[in-house]
Amino acid sequence: MPTVWKRALPHVVLMGYVVAVLFPFVFVVFSSFKDNLQIAERPFGLPTRWMFENYVEAWVKAKINVYFFNSLYLSFASSLSGVLLAAATAFALARMKLARTSRWIYQFVLIGMLIPGNVLFIAQYILVKDLGILNTHWSLYLPYTAGALPISVLLIAAFMRSIPSELEEAAIVDGLGSIRLFAQIILPVTVPALVTVFIVNFLGVWNEYLLANFFISKDALRTLPTGMVGFRDAYQTNYALICTGIVYSVLPVLVLYGFLQEKIIEGITAGSVKG
Amino acid sequence: MKDTMRHPGVYALFVVPTLFLYVLFFVYPMITSLVYGFTDWNGLNDPRYIGFGNFAEAFGDDDFINAIYNNIVFILFAAFVQVPLIVFFAILISGVKRFQGFYKTTVFVPSILSTSVIGILWGFIYQPEVGPLNRALGWFGIEPIYWLADMKWAMFAVLATNAWQWMGFFIVLVLAAILAIPKELNEAADIDGASGWHKAIHITVPLINPIVSVVIMLSIAGAMKVVDIVLVMTNGGPVGSTEVMASYMVTKAINYGEYGYGTALSIVIFVFALLLTAIYQLLVVRRQERVEL
Repeated sequence: MPTVWKRALPHVVLMGYVVAVLFPFVFVVFSSFKDNLQIAERPFGLPTRWMFENYVEAWVKAKINVYFFNSLYLSFASSLSGVLLAAATAFALARMKLARTSRWIYQFVLIGMLIPGNVLFIAQYILVKDLGILNTHWSLYLPYTAGALPISVLLIAAFMRSIPSELEEAAIVDGLGSIRLFAQIILPVTVPALVTVFIVNFLGVWNEYLLANFFISKDALRTLPTGMVGFRDAYQTNYALICTGIVYSVLPVLVLYGFLQEKIIEGITAGSVKG
Repeated sequence: MKDTMRHPGVYALFVVPTLFLYVLFFVYPMITSLVYGFTDWNGLNDPRYIGFGNFAEAFGDDDFINAIYNNIVFILFAAFVQVPLIVFFAILISGVKRFQGFYKTTVFVPSILSTSVIGILWGFIYQPEVGPLNRALGWFGIEPIYWLADMKWAMFAVLATNAWQWMGFFIVLVLAAILAIPKELNEAADIDGASGWHKAIHITVPLINPIVSVVIMLSIAGAMKVVDIVLVMTNGGPVGSTEVMASYMVTKAINYGEYGYGTALSIVIFVFALLLTAIYQLLVVRRQERVEL
């Protein structure tokens, strides 16, 4: 009996933690299918009548769809440009033979990782204002792309250094120039690292709040994290609708996580420890 | 033939776009920060150089001092509440065979989500009338608590939400370090008859010291940067009880147009972060190395 207990006890404690993590989500999902009356009368029970119309209302009338697609395409565009720029730079720094210059540039770019993001926030706000792109998606697309560059260059360059040099020697013998060598040989081999960096950047942009909140004030241009805050303030007492909005914001990320757990954990933790 | 990999034109083609964006959004703001921080610029007039005026003002600004105090609360909470719990749960997860992957992937979930949406989600959990927290407390006859509107509770509510979001992330970091410990060490301890917690404290904890230092460093850095969660959940209120340096800086600069002052505050934040890191390195990391030697 005591040994059984000893075995079970860690699981009891850990299940307690798991419940603490999952309970808010479960609660919000159930509430999103209720109306205010059901939330008030049966807070912890299943919905008595499933209000699927909440999802239609939030998506269309309350414009979650607009925020959703803004987030989707900003995340996609800036992660893709970021990965391609970082890969090209990493290739030049790690594989091309201008060692001195490469070392300098590498160090110079890495300084960017030492600066906490918030510190540059006001200067970036002024810059974006001066560039005349405040309140356009450019004001987010450019800093998002730039913001991910230092860590992306670091991770991709580390990966590229591990590629055996025979590969590019063979390609050069075959008469490939550096650009084709990069595009046709190195890039395909680097795909695992590129995917990891892309996913991490994508999640970062999808979740970003500070810039999105202060660089964009036009409702039609808002992303999900800031759109949701406005949504909450507008529907303050419609708890069910707020929960529906939360589900819309959280669900895509959870689905992505379901498919790519290991890659996401690996990418995010690698980025933070090295950073 | 070798020239292919030496071609300066191609090299530039690969490097310049990245460097351009990097200089524009990192290096240039760094330089302008240093310039604006010494002016009383309000975004309308020409910036006027005032030397250390902003910095003198900052340290006489009770609201900013209060914000510094709240950042310190964040740091202390992370160091003395979160980190021990993180190590505890990581050791616990490392010890089980069944469901280990499940625990790891589940506790990590909150750290991949938007802080802003988590703030809204927890705002609902804390909602005084219909929120589940007060409902559950009601079963024990506890009167509804205005978690985010009551000065006594607001900071605690924000800290708990922040811990809920980030603990899993750090648990996974520490867990990876524990699982990397050579099995022989634990087996030797087993033969010596060491019990579970004995083993944890005398073998595992010393061996994961380096990663725990990293976790503490990252927690301090996180506590210095904290802002989204505060802006979304309480906007610094009630009466400044949850205001942190970064939220105060943002409010001053953007809502009140005090760009010069706001930029100076950002420099102060940066210097604080740098000092804390340096002090921590000197006190903790150096001493650790000496012990290992």
